[in-house]
Amino acid sequence: MPPGEADILDLRSYLAAEKTSVFRPSQPVSTVHEITALQYTLEKQGRRPIVVIEKPVLANGKTSEIAVVCNLTASRALVAKALGINDHRSAAPIYAKKTGNPIAPKVLSAKDAPVQEIVLEGDKADLTLIPALKQHSYDPGAYLTAAHATTYDPDTGVDNTAIQRCWVKGKARMSYYPYPASHNNRNLRKFWAKGQDCPVVFWIGHHPAVLMGTQAKLGYPESHWSACGGLIGQPLRVVPSRTFGDKIMVPADAEIVIEGYALKDQLEADGPFGEYTGYSGPQVAAPVFQVTCITMRKNALYHDYGSGLTDMLVPDNMAMEGKVYSLVKAVAPSLTNVHVPAQGRRFHAYMQFSKPGPGEVRDALTAALAYRRLKMVIAVDDDIDMFDDSEMMFALATRVQWSRDSFTIDGLSGSLLDPSTVAGAKTLSKIAIDATFPLPPFPGAPSPVPPRSKVPEAAMTAAERLLNGTDMSEWPTL
Amino acid sequence: MTKSNIQSIPVGAPWEKTGNTSWTQCPKCNGWFHVGPEILKRPEVKLHCPHCSTDFAQDEAPRIIKAG
Repeated sequence: MPPGEADILDLRSYLAAEKTSVFRPSQPVSTVHEITALQYTLEKQGRRPIVVIEKPVLANGKTSEIAVVCNLTASRALVAKALGINDHRSAAPIYAKKTGNPIAPKVLSAKDAPVQEIVLEGDKADLTLIPALKQHSYDPGAYLTAAHATTYDPDTGVDNTAIQRCWVKGKARMSYYPYPASHNNRNLRKFWAKGQDCPVVFWIGHHPAVLMGTQAKLGYPESHWSACGGLIGQPLRVVPSRTFGDKIMVPADAEIVIEGYALKDQLEADGPFGEYTGYSGPQVAAPVFQVTCITMRKNALYHDYGSGLTDMLVPDNMAMEGKVYSLVKAVAPSLTNVHVPAQGRRFHAYMQFSKPGPGEVRDALTAALAYRRLKMVIAVDDDIDMFDDSEMMFALATRVQWSRDSFTIDGLSGSLLDPSTVAGAKTLSKIAIDATFPLPPFPGAPSPVPPRSKVPEAAMTAAERLLNGTDMSEWPTL
Repeated sequence: MTKSNIQSIPVGAPWEKTGNTSWTQCPKCNGWFHVGPEILKRPEVKLHCPHCSTDFAQDEAPRIIKAG
């Protein structure tokens, strides 16, 4: 059901509503590699169900009482549906518009907040109860991968939320890695510069629309709660955290919350860790996090993102589409759509134009390259289906003269997790490609390029009718 | 970190690919794992072997192959 005014959005009601898209194996599955292997296997087979593991087996051989939900957002179609968008291909302009109209959150009292039904403090706060996964071969242990870290700017009090990995190292201790360029890292540095531990709250498990809303790409400092409200079209229900009160709110309908401090100047080894790039990122020095309190719902669900798998890439890439659309539309009004394909990790963006004016495509390409995460941007016409890679290759093969239609810019900001970067470099080399055709030279004239081959619609319909009902299972697909 | 256990990857011309990842070897199991440039600048932070869970100081590593 798309979100509306009267809905309470949470993970469990979403799973119930999408039950035909959920795979629930009845047998025990290990949290050590096996759940992730299941996701890789599904991906290889081109299937994208949500997966609920009712009997996750921990590294110590015990079965956790907390079920694992993974592959929650592997399907663009399902994610778009969760946002109330009929066609995932039209998500970029809708996401940009909605997150640009923030709605302030609604604050509940503790007694009305499901996520505080169970409160574990002191010795009872035990991270090892949570069925965190050890996903990839080089990972040193079990990581929280869908932990939304919420901090606040000590100067303004404005909240910030980002998904950041945590390596569970003991009952009340983990390492926490806020990427150096992140807003949470900026908040942490501010607290540490004041000689204080940094308050952090991690919340896990929510409706995909809320997950998408809290991943809005914002300036600093800007509230993610309000951006999320804009996306879901209603105030996000939040509750003061147990440890920090209204200084850090948490989503009232989340499944699990972990509260505590990133201890001042305390760093420990963290990683290697399988990253969104599809490669294992190196070991780093990361802050140490000390737990003060864990709260959860009765029969809590634990959400895990397969790091580097489609279920992790899809929601973030769709949020990026909204951000790139907003950035580029400001300089190129003929921009109609943006696609950040999972195949390109977070490095590629495709942009579509309808009748761009002189210079507009290059303006747009230059603006998009300035977005930190992107490394390659390609502009196409509106006859190209940019959600189909074979169409993109067709455009590149037939509409580009490389020296005329591509340009590179060195020294731009980007992800240093990219394995191709130069050792020691702090910036990247990026490329823009104009794969659009020229416009007609005079009003009413045909485009000065050959027409694309096609057969009449009636013949296509007749061909489909001819094949309808034929058993094709033995036919080669390559 | 003692200089004797560090080897640097030779840097070539700008158009020659040399990689960007540093590796270290565990003193207990001899397994290799990759480490970022920032942690190598902090000898006070012990490295952690993901293969055998041993914590060790950089100067205890039999070899560190450093990129960049």
